[in-house]
Amino acid sequence: MEERLKLSSLFFIGTFVLIAIGLVAFITGFIGDPERAWANFLLNNVYFVSLSAGAVLFLSLQRVTQSGWSAGFIRVPEAMGMYLPVAAVLFIVMIFGIQSIYHWSHADAVAHDPILQHKQPYLNVPFWVGRMVVFFVLWIVLAQMLRHYSLREDEEGGLSIFRKAEHIAKVFIFVIIITFSVAGFDWIMSIDPHWYSALFALKNFVSAFYHAVAIITFIVLLLNQFGYFPFLTKSHMHDFSSYIFMLCIIWGYFWFAEFMLIWYANIPEETSYFISRMQADGWRIFFFANIVINWFIPFVIMMPAASRRSEITLKIVIPILLVGMFIDLYVQIFPGVVGKQMLGFNEIGGFLGFAGIFMLVVGYYLSRANLYPKNHPYMEECLEHHV
Amino acid sequence: MKNDKQHIIGVFDGEETLVNAFRELKKEKIEISDVFTPFPIHEVLEGHGRKSNIITLSWFFGLFAALAVLSFLYYTAVVDWPLNYGGKPSSAFPSFIVITIVLTIFSVTILSLFTFSVRAKLWPNIEKPIYHDGATDDKFVILFDKDKVDEGKLKKLLKDLGATEIIEK
Repeated sequence: MEERLKLSSLFFIGTFVLIAIGLVAFITGFIGDPERAWANFLLNNVYFVSLSAGAVLFLSLQRVTQSGWSAGFIRVPEAMGMYLPVAAVLFIVMIFGIQSIYHWSHADAVAHDPILQHKQPYLNVPFWVGRMVVFFVLWIVLAQMLRHYSLREDEEGGLSIFRKAEHIAKVFIFVIIITFSVAGFDWIMSIDPHWYSALFALKNFVSAFYHAVAIITFIVLLLNQFGYFPFLTKSHMHDFSSYIFMLCIIWGYFWFAEFMLIWYANIPEETSYFISRMQADGWRIFFFANIVINWFIPFVIMMPAASRRSEITLKIVIPILLVGMFIDLYVQIFPGVVGKQMLGFNEIGGFLGFAGIFMLVVGYYLSRANLYPKNHPYMEECLEHHV
Repeated sequence: MKNDKQHIIGVFDGEETLVNAFRELKKEKIEISDVFTPFPIHEVLEGHGRKSNIITLSWFFGLFAALAVLSFLYYTAVVDWPLNYGGKPSSAFPSFIVITIVLTIFSVTILSLFTFSVRAKLWPNIEKPIYHDGATDDKFVILFDKDKVDEGKLKKLLKDLGATEIIEK
C-alpha cells in the first residue's frame, strides 16, 4: 500500500487566505486593543498546541496498547504533532505580551499584594519562560522521534523499530501528563492568580485529548471523502467515535466535578472565578454553552451505537466540538484578561488565521510521507478490523 | 429436563470450518437454533438474525431511574422537609446530580440483570442442558431442532462441511 496525499493548489490558496485574514485581525487588534489581541493570541496558541499535543498522546496510546484498529491512520496524529515546532515559535512571540495578559508580571501589582508575593518564586517571568522552553523541547523531541521511527519503519520493516517507538510513547505519556498540567496552570490559570483549582490541569488535559481525537477523526473522514484511506469501514468509525464518546463523558465529569465542589464549598476566593463567569452579563451564555456543546450535545447524539457508526453524525458532532473548544478556552481566558465580553472579528479572524497555519503544517507533513504505514506490524489487522 | 433426543448437534474443530458451515447452512435455509463457540465470532453474531432490545430497554430503565431519584430528592429536600444547610437554597440542583448518577447506574445494572435473567430463563435451581462439553473449550458447536429440519439431508450436509462429530441429544 503506497499512496501519497496530493494537495491541490486550492488547498494552499485557501490556507493562505485564512492566514491573511488572521494577520489582518491581529494587526488591527494590536493597534486597537492590545490586551484583547494578546488574549486572543494566547487562546489560539493554547487551542492548537492542545490539538497537536493531544494528537501525539493519542498516537502514543495506540503505540503502548499496540492497537491494531488504528494502525493505518497513525500518520494523521504524527503530522498533527509536527505543528509543535511552529507552536513553539508562536509561544515565544507571546513573551512580548506577558505584561498585557498576566497580572502577576506587573512589579507594582506584586508589591502591594501579599498573595502574589507568596507565589512569586513560581510566578515570575524568567521561570515562566524557562518552563515553557522545557515543555516545548520535550514535546518536540519526543514527537519528532515518534515520527522518525514511524518513517524508518516504512523503509526497513521488522519489529525492532516498533518496540523502540513503543518505548518513546511510554516516555511521552509520562512527560505530557506532568508538563501539560503545569502548562495549563502557567498559561491559563495564572491569568487569575488569586484563584486556584487542582482539577483545572486535568480538565484541560482531557479537553486537549478529547478535541484532538475529534480532529484526527475529522481529518481521516475528510481524506476518505477525497478517496484516501480506502480501507476505512464502519468498524473504524465506531472505534473513533467510541473514543470521542468516552472522552466526552470524562470531560463532562471533570467540568462538573470542578464546578460542583467549588459551588458546594462556597469559599469566596474560589467562587469568585465562577461568579465572574456564570453570573456576569455576556459571559453567562458562554458559560452554559460550554457544557451544553462540549458534553450534552455529543453525549446525546452519540449514545446509540448506530449513530456512532455513521459518518454523518461524526461530521455533525466534530465541527460542534471545535466550536466548543473555542468557547471553553474563551470562557477561561477572556474574563480574566479583557473583562467585558466582546466576541468579534478580532477573535474569529484570529482563529481562522491560526487554523490556516495549522492546516498548512498538517497538510504539508501529511503529503511528505506515505499516507499508510505499510510496514507497521498491525497494518493487516487494521485492514481486517471488524467490530 | 427432557432428554428424548430433540436436537441434532454438529461439532466442528475450527473457526473457519464453522463459519463456512454457518454460511452454507444459511444459504440452504436450514434453521439453526443455536451456536456455541469458545469465543465470540462476529460473523455468527451478526448472521444469527436475532435482535435484542435490552439496550433500548436499559435506556428507559435509566430514564426512569434518573427521574425517580431526582423527584425523590426534590420531594424530601424541598417539599416535605426543607432544612437550612449553611444558608444554601433547598432546591440545590447541582448537589442532586452526583447521587442521581450513582443511583441511576445502580438501577440500570440491577434492572437489566433481572430482565436478562428472566428473558434467558436463568434463575436459581434451574438446570440448563449442556450440549457438548467442548463448547467452552476448543469445539465449535451448532445446534438444530429435530422438528424443524430434514434429518437425513442435514446430516449429509454436515458431514460434507467438515463436521467432526454429529450427535443426537
